[in-house]
Amino acid sequence: MMDLSEPTMDYSNLRRQITFMKKSFFDQGYLDEQFNQLEELQDESSPNFVEEVVALFLKDSPRLLSNIEQTIGKYPQDFYRLDSLVHQLKGSGSSIGAVRMKNECSVFKAHCNDRNLEGCRRSLQKMKREHATLKQKLESYFQLLRQVGPREHAVNSRK
Amino acid sequence: MDRRRIRVLLVEDEEIHRVLARAVLRAAGVEADEAENGAEAVRRVRERVGGGGAYDLILTDKQMPVMDGHEATRQIRAMGVTTPIVAVSSDSLPSDVQAFTAAGADDFTPKPLTKEKVGHILSKFGLA
Repeated sequence: MMDLSEPTMDYSNLRRQITFMKKSFFDQGYLDEQFNQLEELQDESSPNFVEEVVALFLKDSPRLLSNIEQTIGKYPQDFYRLDSLVHQLKGSGSSIGAVRMKNECSVFKAHCNDRNLEGCRRSLQKMKREHATLKQKLESYFQLLRQVGPREHAVNSRK
Repeated sequence: MDRRRIRVLLVEDEEIHRVLARAVLRAAGVEADEAENGAEAVRRVRERVGGGGAYDLILTDKQMPVMDGHEATRQIRAMGVTTPIVAVSSDSLPSDVQAFTAAGADDFTPKPLTKEKVGHILSKFGLA
């Protein structure tokens, strides 16, 4: 638990960590401008808006990935359903600016279009890895944000 | 100058997109009615035609349960409703845009909705 007897120094350090972490998300291509758009929509009436939208993504995406995996394993192959599921995942990811996830979804959709099951399988593994990494990074980011408290939520640190 | 309240119908089945669209529209000063599928959208539009005044704008997703955005657009146009309909979808290939246009939509914008896109739509249809 943070020692509140020295709020200034800890707060500054946390702010620096948050800024650096967020910059790394953009520099490493995990998030795009859409994430900034979410932050611009956050205000006093919706102080946790970004975290709420990300939480919806993190709630939807494991279910979708699981459904995709189950559908890939079925015979005969149902590429229509696979395309539909990955369409939802792509849309959900794009809502938070999850650009790597979005791009891999596009690759998956192309494999569906080509009826390339092996390609779909490879793409799914990539999506799962990207998702796990993104989830871990976002959870760490919001954990830090919660530590600095509500005054941080109004800050929009542009890239 | 009094600004008439703009009546928008948002047609979207997925919660994350409704939450985002709601926030973007609110930032533009617009509160929207919501329908979670095309059939509900058609019902709401029919109710409005019956009394209460037509919607000024309909924003619709493509892929939805019960009735998709294409069919909802077709049915709304079949009622004689001329409200601008803008398709909002993750699929933005020319074939997707053409399919919506053929169904009677007036415009298409790819997801996700942003303040800029909503501003453009409201301006385009004289609602800004």
